[in-house]
Amino acid sequence: MIGIEHYLVVSSILFVMGVLGIFLNRKNIIIILMAIELILLAVNINLVAFSVFLGDMVGQVFAMFVLTVAAGEAAIGLAILVIYFRGRGTIAVDDVNQMKG
Amino acid sequence: MAEYLPILLFLAVALLLSVAFVFLPIGVSRLTGAHKPTVAKLSEYECGFPAFEDSRSQFDVRFYLVAILFIIFDLEAAFLFPWAVTVLDLGWEAWGAMMVFLTILTVGFVYEWKMGALDWE
Amino acid sequence: MNYALWFQLASPEIVLSIAGLLLLLIAAWSSDKSARLVSILTVAAFFGALALSLNFLLADGYAEGADAFYGQYRMDRFAALSKVLIFLSAIACVIVAPKFFARDGMMRAEYPILILFASVGMGLMVSAVDLLTLYIGLELQSLAAYVLASFLRSDDRSAEAGLKYFVLGALASGILLFGMSLLYGFTGTTSFIGIQTAFSDGVSTGALFGVVFVLSGLAFKISAVPFHMWTPDVYEGAPTPVTTFFATAPKVAALALTMRVAIEAFGGQQSVWQQIVIFVAMASILLGGVAAIGQTNIKRLLAYSSINNVGFMLIGLACGTPEGASAMMTYLIIYVAMTLGSFICVLDLNDREGRPVEDIPKLAGLSRTRPGLAAALAVFMFSLAGIPPLFGFWGKFVVFDAAVAAGLIPLAALGIAASVIGAFYYLKVIKVMYFDEPADVIAPSDSTARLALIAVSALFVSPLGYFATLALSPITEDAARALFWAA
Repeated sequence: MIGIEHYLVVSSILFVMGVLGIFLNRKNIIIILMAIELILLAVNINLVAFSVFLGDMVGQVFAMFVLTVAAGEAAIGLAILVIYFRGRGTIAVDDVNQMKG
Repeated sequence: MAEYLPILLFLAVALLLSVAFVFLPIGVSRLTGAHKPTVAKLSEYECGFPAFEDSRSQFDVRFYLVAILFIIFDLEAAFLFPWAVTVLDLGWEAWGAMMVFLTILTVGFVYEWKMGALDWE
Repeated sequence: MNYALWFQLASPEIVLSIAGLLLLLIAAWSSDKSARLVSILTVAAFFGALALSLNFLLADGYAEGADAFYGQYRMDRFAALSKVLIFLSAIACVIVAPKFFARDGMMRAEYPILILFASVGMGLMVSAVDLLTLYIGLELQSLAAYVLASFLRSDDRSAEAGLKYFVLGALASGILLFGMSLLYGFTGTTSFIGIQTAFSDGVSTGALFGVVFVLSGLAFKISAVPFHMWTPDVYEGAPTPVTTFFATAPKVAALALTMRVAIEAFGGQQSVWQQIVIFVAMASILLGGVAAIGQTNIKRLLAYSSINNVGFMLIGLACGTPEGASAMMTYLIIYVAMTLGSFICVLDLNDREGRPVEDIPKLAGLSRTRPGLAAALAVFMFSLAGIPPLFGFWGKFVVFDAAVAAGLIPLAALGIAASVIGAFYYLKVIKVMYFDEPADVIAPSDSTARLALIAVSALFVSPLGYFATLALSPITEDAARALFWAA
């Protein structure tokens, strides 16, 4: 029998993978965008699982809003990335270091 | 002891995040630091032939633009499905709310059209 | 369902949203030629929203506040006061922008419109009484802010600031959201009052994690230590009018939101969040003071100063009393005036070719070449440091007073000690301006609007500001009481 705790474990693993994906990845900023999506999807698993478990619709409505906001966020992230690439000619994470201190 | 649990949790989260932020990149580059590239190692493998062209072909940035615009309008349309199923039960309030939403969406669409985001050239 | 009342309660945001949509169409049809017209209309819309918020703040009959949209949104005196501060700072940021962007030919109509939409988001944030409204408001503000940070497309630093702000901001939203999903799961509700009721008989471990994640996410947004690392880079890289905006309006919104979440949603379990807030406050004050010392870029210096000031404001929240909340609002009002003033002074620092000057050593001898500007900057610096005759001291004083009354004497003592350390780096800037040989880089001002704004903020921050306390203290007390009404 699959209970709520199984969903929680899956979503926690995805969440940690997303956070580590942001920090561990040194190669490409696109991967950071994917890691951010992973975090938001982990949250959605949580919300939908809780919603079914509690028999309450709010969680699913919340998940819809998270989905759309995630789309907007990805769009803006990509747009900023395009501007950045035009200026610098690279999207390697290690090169994002003009300002230090 | 139990009353200090929240601050411990908070510190753990803070510490993990800041350690990840500062030390992981250093540690990882140490671990994977045996980085001695040679021409043979760096060249792409293409059935034993020398590579014909760069294996990572460049995408035109305009594809990104279209993809960005698609994903936004695609997902906003996701609101229409649950609304369409329940609008008859929910009545005029739900109808009005969706019309407001669609108006805002249309203004955004008109803006991107006028700004030329949909023109390929 | 009383739609008329609901729309009336949400009228500031509705006015701003409609104005934003119409101006977007104007911008689409006439492109950048209309930037000036759009800016003027934006300021007009902000004044309309400001008048509506002031009405809620001052008119009788709104003392208790009222809920709208099925318990998603509340307009009370606390929200109204926060909105007044937000809209005032947004107006200033729209007014000072055209001169700055015109130099690069980058004054586009989108700038005021993005500020407008960000302000709608901030209005929702301070009025949110449900996790859903909180999230939508926060994202509306953040998404507009990411674009604003990278607004100066020709400048590499601006693009990099936007990228950093986006990545860390999105991570913060993710953490906040994960916490909210846990809170929803373990309390079964997303409304603040519901969470408070569920917490009244103890907090489960899952919900505890939720509280911790939510507070971590909010700490990111108010740029409090240990989640402050994005602040100096973003403040340095973003165009200066945008930095002015980031340091004022979103900070007010995020701090007000943190207060409402802590006091309304987590109000029944004060011990759970109090230690976290105390830790964050102490760490921000210390790090903000120490890390600022070696900075040579004035925008970076002001970024650390804002981290430091957020720490002092959080002392007010840590008290968990209406007096503490009222003190925090008082500090917030003074902080907005000081920060607006100092950043507009930075905007006025241009060399003879009109390029912005940000290096502190280049300010040498400013007192002889631009005595008025040097005096104003000195007033803001002394005030940020909390040196007695100036109004900044009053903010620190009321916060410490509330902390002592709430029994947080060690925290207050540490705050006083740290403000002495903090004074050091402000004094360094003043020493460079007044006692070093003139470097003679700074050109005369080219904008009377800027000078007028500097004069108004300097007047408010000067000792004359104490007269304003007579009018301000009943307002901040009302706002704090509204916050505790539900708690």
